[in-house]
Amino acid sequence: MQSIVNAISHIYQSTIFLYGLVLLLVYAMLAFFSMLGVRQYARQDNDYQLDVLAGSGIVPGISVLAPAYNEGLTIIDNVRSLLTLNYPRFEIIVINDGSTDNTLEQLIREFSLQEVDFAYHIKLKTQPVKRVYKSTNPAYSTLVVLDKVNGKSKADASNAGINAASFDYFLCTDVDCVLDKNTLLELIRPVLQEEKKRVIATGGTLRIGNSCEFDEGVMTRMRPPRELLPRFQEVEYIRSFVLGKMGWSYINCVPNVSGGLGLFDKEVAIRCGGYDHTSFGEDMELMSRMCRYAYDYNIDYAIRYVPKTLCWTEAPNTLEIFKRQRIRWARGLAQLIHAHFHMFLNPKYGKIGMVIFPYNFFFELLAPVVEMLGLITYLLLALLGYIHWHNALLLLLFVYTYSIMITTIAILWDQLTFRYYKTWKEVLFLCMTAFLEFVIYHPIIVYFSLRGYYNFLTGKRVTWGNMQRQGFGKK
Amino acid sequence: MKKILLIEDDEIMPKIVARILPSTEYRLEHASNGKEALQLLEETSYAYDLIITDIMMPYANGFEILSKIKHRDRPIPVIIISNAGNEDMIMEGFKLGADDFLKKPILPAELLIRVKKLLM
Amino acid sequence: MSQIDNPTLSASVETVSSYLETAFTSVKAATRFLENTFLNAPITIQIAMVFIIIAIVTTALAYISILRNRYRGYRTDKKLARLCPRIDNLLIDEVLSHPSLQQHVPPDEIQLNIAPFEQLPLHRRWARQALTGRIIHFRRNVRGNIGLLLRNLYMQLDLDNDTLKKLKSRHWEKKVQALTELTSLDMFISDVTILPMTNDRNRELRAAARHAYIKLSKNEPFKFFDIAKEPLLMWDQVELFRTITSTENIAIPNFARWIIYSGNKSVISFCLKLVVYYNQHNAVPAILRLLETKDHYLRADAINCLGKLRARIAEDKLVALYSHQPIPCQIEILKALGRIGSGEHVEFLKTEFLHATDFDLRKHAAKSLVRNQWVSDHPGDELLSSVSQENLRILRHCMNPLIKY
Repeated sequence: MQSIVNAISHIYQSTIFLYGLVLLLVYAMLAFFSMLGVRQYARQDNDYQLDVLAGSGIVPGISVLAPAYNEGLTIIDNVRSLLTLNYPRFEIIVINDGSTDNTLEQLIREFSLQEVDFAYHIKLKTQPVKRVYKSTNPAYSTLVVLDKVNGKSKADASNAGINAASFDYFLCTDVDCVLDKNTLLELIRPVLQEEKKRVIATGGTLRIGNSCEFDEGVMTRMRPPRELLPRFQEVEYIRSFVLGKMGWSYINCVPNVSGGLGLFDKEVAIRCGGYDHTSFGEDMELMSRMCRYAYDYNIDYAIRYVPKTLCWTEAPNTLEIFKRQRIRWARGLAQLIHAHFHMFLNPKYGKIGMVIFPYNFFFELLAPVVEMLGLITYLLLALLGYIHWHNALLLLLFVYTYSIMITTIAILWDQLTFRYYKTWKEVLFLCMTAFLEFVIYHPIIVYFSLRGYYNFLTGKRVTWGNMQRQGFGKK
Repeated sequence: MKKILLIEDDEIMPKIVARILPSTEYRLEHASNGKEALQLLEETSYAYDLIITDIMMPYANGFEILSKIKHRDRPIPVIIISNAGNEDMIMEGFKLGADDFLKKPILPAELLIRVKKLLM
Repeated sequence: MSQIDNPTLSASVETVSSYLETAFTSVKAATRFLENTFLNAPITIQIAMVFIIIAIVTTALAYISILRNRYRGYRTDKKLARLCPRIDNLLIDEVLSHPSLQQHVPPDEIQLNIAPFEQLPLHRRWARQALTGRIIHFRRNVRGNIGLLLRNLYMQLDLDNDTLKKLKSRHWEKKVQALTELTSLDMFISDVTILPMTNDRNRELRAAARHAYIKLSKNEPFKFFDIAKEPLLMWDQVELFRTITSTENIAIPNFARWIIYSGNKSVISFCLKLVVYYNQHNAVPAILRLLETKDHYLRADAINCLGKLRARIAEDKLVALYSHQPIPCQIEILKALGRIGSGEHVEFLKTEFLHATDFDLRKHAAKSLVRNQWVSDHPGDELLSSVSQENLRILRHCMNPLIKY
């Protein structure tokens, strides 16, 4: 009996050890690849190229999709700022997803919209589009406004936008996000510069705009969030985009292009069925399906990331909204892995089957579970007095310092290339956040993720939690 | 003395234009983005004789400014200066009532002649 | 040895020795720690301890790098903020307002007064680089004699030495920078220097070298169209297009040459765009021959080009081809019929509009009908009243001047 217990505990320990080791190695690898990726980007980056692109008559057109649900507070500023994007050939499609406030009325008034007969072709099924508006003022000729029945999800609204889009590429964003004026130039550049592969999506870095200053939808001063919860998220975003996505991008293994900002190949997106409105993580879900489509139809594809920050979004600043967001994300992840499980370790799906999926499964999906189990075992052992406290604390210290190192490296790459923020104090302030992250923020996320999985397993019905936004205030 | 408003987000262009147009004949004012331009226009109740504008600028693009100007009873002549190579965009400008279009980099003599012609 | 009596000195000697002592004890403590704790610990704990130290050191180094980088950047910004206005003023006073410009003196003969520029800290490389950047920036806004004069200044101040040095650098990005500078300033580069770079291993450098070659080579700028084997990326095309169309005094060849003989599809497709830009009608027969190609994308490009050239001669052939084309080519044919707008194939467009199953085909047929003025000529056409709800909407869409696409 004793030997069995010993064997089990041995296996358990080695598994956990191996798991931890692989995770740490993956992070070290990402740190290295992201350095190469960011460096490569920095070498190619010059204003001259963007200038040439901006003045060119032979670039592919881009449709910018901006779904809006009850965004009356900021809609005008944000649409205005979209209209001034720096690109020679684009259109803005605002999808009013059955708002109950005066979003549509404001748009109609501000941009002198008029209802038109629009050859709207349903390639992706959505809730019906009731009306299509165009501006009578030629200055706004790039603007199209769709008024549709609320589909209770961003996916449904985005799909309607894809149906109305006239160009081969579409940019998906949230109407409350503030974009850099060169966003389209930056995101189309990897598509044009790719040698042999077909770039089916590109993404850029997102940041938290809670404490930045905005003026009529233009970012005028970048600042790390003052409140703790958004600041944690800023650190998390830098790590996840500059280190994570850039690292994956370098080896063409990007697992996801964020819903806040992504440029997609319209043909592939439509062929694989567009966004799934039942998904809780529609952006990642679409990406997985696009990759799968590419493999099934032998498209040699690539997904690229740009380390430059191109988009500022408002982060939840209360625990309540944050909880809803993270539960939804976790549930989306569980859903996704469940739905596409046949790709898991399936060599037919190349990198996505052998690298991205296993990574997502073991280190994104299972991580909170493993941590929870680890904690419980620990507590049990501690109660039984089996813990070698000295070693335990050392291991904990190891994980703690390692996580701080990874976060700091991410901030370093970001700083070396772009020198964001105004003062070094702000940067140090941000770096310090990493010390608290492990102790405060991380446990919260683990808990919310587990709640999300629970909801997934029990199939709990939740209403589409709307983000309560305050809108980026004016100065 | 003719009053000219130059709307341009490049910092060098205003200095160049100021040199090309002799200051004895023209008074040049400068706005570096769409918002500033619209404010200036409102404040002076559009008291300019000529407007020279870029197309792609923050806050409000050249088309928007153009449509505001051309919707008034007394339209002010407008010259667009841009590096746009996209014909659609240039056509759009003319549709909105632009009087002339110059592609960057500009020829100083050309700008002077066009300005003179429009202010005759 | 009398200095040892000096009280301050002896005090400091004492402090130093006490420091040494502490250091010594801590080293001893560390060794003891190593012997007792580290060596006796299990392997996992040993690894953990090593990594803790690595992590702490790396984090500290990262902090230092961040701070150093910020400080340097801050200093550069400040220096440039002071220097750039000075450069601008000098450029405006000495170059843009040069009196000879008004007197139509050829710019080559104008002697610039470079004395004031020598007050700039031009013995520093960053300052020279800033000046070069500024000159290029000016030239991007203004051409003609002022542009030439700015180039003269660049040469008179020997700024080209820096650029040429960069051209010899080991780093490809420096070479690309140098090539960009040289092309922006229309500087001559010998073929011997540039041709090897057009075959470089690095794609960016290769592309930059080609643009430079087209722009600067005096003898045969389009030569590499003949030799390019690999595809021209979309990006290369964007840059080349700009280079070719914005270079003055470049002899534009008849691009039909490559449309017929090039084996490189991307070169052909690029030449089609140039044919449209320069409106080279004499290329039409070559393009008609291209319609036989097996590549759908290329064929679509060719059809598109014929439409934009408004080649009436091609219409019958396009209509004859139509039925056995894939949809993208069919769409291009419909678009081309709209662009050519001769009105001779209205019946064909009408049939497509009414009976095609594909939505996009119907939409483009409708658009081309509108462009052929069929609708305004036949406002009471019985077809209009009998079309389906959806087709009517398509037609209204196409007729509405507010909708562009």
